[in-house]
Amino acid sequence: MADLKYIGQPAQRVDALDKVMGKTKYVGDMSIPGMLYARTLRSELPHARIVRLDTSPALQVPGVVAVVTSADFVNHSNFGFPISDMYMLAHEKVRYVGEGIASVAAETPEAALEGVKAIICELEPLPAVFDMAHALDPDAPQIGPNRTDGKHPNYIGHYPVYKGNPKEKLLQCDMVIDQKYETVMQEHAYLETEGGLAIPTPEGGVVVYLSCQSPFIPRNDLCKVLGLPADRVRVIVPPVGGSFGGKDDLNYQTAGQVAALALKAKRPVRMTFSREESIIASYKRGSMRMNIKLGADKDGTLRACEFRSLYDSGAYSSQSPFTSWRASIHAMGAYRYDDCTVDIDTVYTNTGYAGAYRGFGNTEVCSGIEQAIDEMADALKMDPLEFRLKNCLKVGDVTPHGQLLSESVGLRDCLLAVRKMSDWDRKRKDFANQSPSAEKRRGIGVSALFHGTSLGAEGLDEATATIEIHADNQVTITSGLTDYGTGARTVYTLIAAEILGIQPERIKVHNPDTNTAKDSGPTVASRTTILAGNSVRVAAQNLLQNLDWAAADLLKCDVYQVHRVGEDYIGPSEELVSWDIVVKHAREMGLVLSAFGRWSAPQIHWDEEKGTGTPYFAYHFGAQVAEVEVDLKTGHTDVVNIWAVHDIGKVIFPQGAYGQLYGGISHGLGYGLYEDLDYQNGYAQSINFDTYLIPTSMDMPEIQGGFVEATFSAGPFGAKNIAEPAMVPTAPAILNAIANATGRRIRKLPANLERVMLGKELTKKGSPFSCKVALKIT
Amino acid sequence: MLINFTLNHKPVSIDIPTDITLSVMLREHLKLTGTKEACEIGECGACSVLLDGELVNSCLVAAPSVMGREVITIEGIHAEDGGPNDLQRNFIEKGAVQCGFCIPGMVIAGEALLAIKSEPSRLEIREALAGNLCRCTGYMQIVDAIETTAKERAEKPNLSKRER
Repeated sequence: MADLKYIGQPAQRVDALDKVMGKTKYVGDMSIPGMLYARTLRSELPHARIVRLDTSPALQVPGVVAVVTSADFVNHSNFGFPISDMYMLAHEKVRYVGEGIASVAAETPEAALEGVKAIICELEPLPAVFDMAHALDPDAPQIGPNRTDGKHPNYIGHYPVYKGNPKEKLLQCDMVIDQKYETVMQEHAYLETEGGLAIPTPEGGVVVYLSCQSPFIPRNDLCKVLGLPADRVRVIVPPVGGSFGGKDDLNYQTAGQVAALALKAKRPVRMTFSREESIIASYKRGSMRMNIKLGADKDGTLRACEFRSLYDSGAYSSQSPFTSWRASIHAMGAYRYDDCTVDIDTVYTNTGYAGAYRGFGNTEVCSGIEQAIDEMADALKMDPLEFRLKNCLKVGDVTPHGQLLSESVGLRDCLLAVRKMSDWDRKRKDFANQSPSAEKRRGIGVSALFHGTSLGAEGLDEATATIEIHADNQVTITSGLTDYGTGARTVYTLIAAEILGIQPERIKVHNPDTNTAKDSGPTVASRTTILAGNSVRVAAQNLLQNLDWAAADLLKCDVYQVHRVGEDYIGPSEELVSWDIVVKHAREMGLVLSAFGRWSAPQIHWDEEKGTGTPYFAYHFGAQVAEVEVDLKTGHTDVVNIWAVHDIGKVIFPQGAYGQLYGGISHGLGYGLYEDLDYQNGYAQSINFDTYLIPTSMDMPEIQGGFVEATFSAGPFGAKNIAEPAMVPTAPAILNAIANATGRRIRKLPANLERVMLGKELTKKGSPFSCKVALKIT
Repeated sequence: MLINFTLNHKPVSIDIPTDITLSVMLREHLKLTGTKEACEIGECGACSVLLDGELVNSCLVAAPSVMGREVITIEGIHAEDGGPNDLQRNFIEKGAVQCGFCIPGMVIAGEALLAIKSEPSRLEIREALAGNLCRCTGYMQIVDAIETTAKERAEKPNLSKRER
């Protein structure tokens, strides 16, 4: 692959021009004639029975055109996957503060708000449970759906990995550590809030422009809850202003609400959220409590890991069964063990709700296991980076799941690279010799990760793309997977340009549209480059065949005698023929100038009972080093430097890959130091960016990044992925650096001022006031 | 009330309610949707515009207060031919754009800085962007874009705004 023209070469994002000019239209920027504005009445109680819901007063409000409740849908608007426990609008009960109850469409946003206020909604408070440790108490109030297997209704599932008997092995180990770690909820904080625009069609159907990740899921949900066939519901994804896992379930409800209103009002309806509504109503990264026991020999060989944890899914299961499963697979870190067990239990509470967020369970467990690994290295008086090098996975190893790693394992190279780039050995030595009385202390810490690519044994894993040459010779691509800021469109463009041997400027990628693209599963799990990228590769190859035949016919030779010079074709006569002429000739020959490509991921299997199998077909690896300066007077931690080297397989779009790396690190830095979407008695304590702090340009250090290209043979041109795993190791690297600086370990995220200063948090008393004000008035 | 002001170098006269913000006037009344709203409390900078050349959060400015003043929005930032100017080209060139939602505000903040400081250090660029949140990029390539533009403009100090 020495002579790749576009793959891995400098390239620019294909959708950047409109964005820098301010011309890109996000849902909130769209308006069409006759459009109504929608607003949703949301629960102000964390758990309550809806005893009375009278929407008729709202219809008396001037300007209000339509109101919908769960009664306006089929089967009370029930939906959700893998557990159908959600509703487009609440049915009989509400289970968290912010849950939608009724939606109003009106001529103006102000009238819609007045309509919401006019609705008579009587809620009878129910006992609630906010502490995941008590979710399964025999007398805990029921939050989850009824179940017939005798298990507690608040129990979502158990996710195990079993290899040998670590309990016994730990007794034989020279050194054992046994620690508890805890993570808190994190808000996605995409800059564009949720929104959707529904337009009724003359045939009685509806088109929804929806800021979301996976358009086929809401299309199928809408068909179900609206009782419409597939050809009557179309979901189009306009440009999305960030998502990070966050624009699925909640915004599917938005889709349901605006679609039902549009059908009822027979007019277009748009809903956009305020920041307060977004933070209060949306799902978060869930919180996790971990207990990790590690055992090692005194020579530094890891022997055993026993990992137990409890994961809080909040009011709905959303993606938590999958998040928990991914957490279980990654809980022990990227290391070899003789014996290793993981047990994760996931429960319902009335604390908001948890769903997908970048890293998807691995971010949570990595913050625990990578601190535990450091604590073990400390206990053994070994350098933590050296300790990781000694135990990390390499080609030929068998993981604790029982999977033989036969290729594409670049972890050791990542660790060696960050060690060199960060001047690790010298800094560890220098920082150990800081004056004990120094008020500002430096520290340096490392973290490693592995991250299974794509869905893994979570489900069927395939994608389909189409490619077409139009009358003006423009080439267009469709994919069922979305670019919500990730750069996927550019990746598709570069792959198609490489295969077809044409300039990327000739190619345009359509917005995902359920009427033109093929269902390719959800746009999640950092699967787009491998899955959609491969399907584009196959589609382009299928199209190329026809062009090659046309070229051979034109050049009066056999197909194998045709070669390319730039875009041009050349045959034995050495006469150059342009690509446009070949396309024209193909058209004259009656050859089809469109193709589709399907790619299915390699078969894998996971045994949920035995906790063994092949969870993913390939893994991303990476290592990050953070250098911090901790002010012991204030507890303020300044992240001075971050070095990050990840094995993402072949790099397809370098600028985009670096962008993903830097951006992921910013989510990880926030997770490590500030971000805590704290709930008190079910009420979110931060509802806008004045109190929910995400990293600014001043909080982010200059990052030195790099890539190891341990190519994956089934990836497009050997590529794996980058999006999620970029953030996974950042928080533990920072926590390990703080421990190196201060000698004190912070085992609960985030390492905010009080935890760094006092080693504990200050108690807070929650007030429901701000949430209530925000839901009704702002 | 009727207010008159200069918007993107052209005089504008518009009848608006007195109780709206500049961002609402721009987006809802003048249909200039390049200016984004993402927090509406002056924390995120997505609604950044230049008011008499100064960087402001338009969600915190009362619309009537721009009477007689000059407002530049992202729609007013471009090269003479209507295409991207040097700063916008560098945003593209350096990979500063991901989802793009913060980008109009970032471009405006970059122009505001470059108008008062010809060769800012990376730290000074970071300080100038501290009021503009981005959740996608980690800011690295945005700083790169502004730094590169500053250097290019310093090399050609006589280039007029229109020629950029």
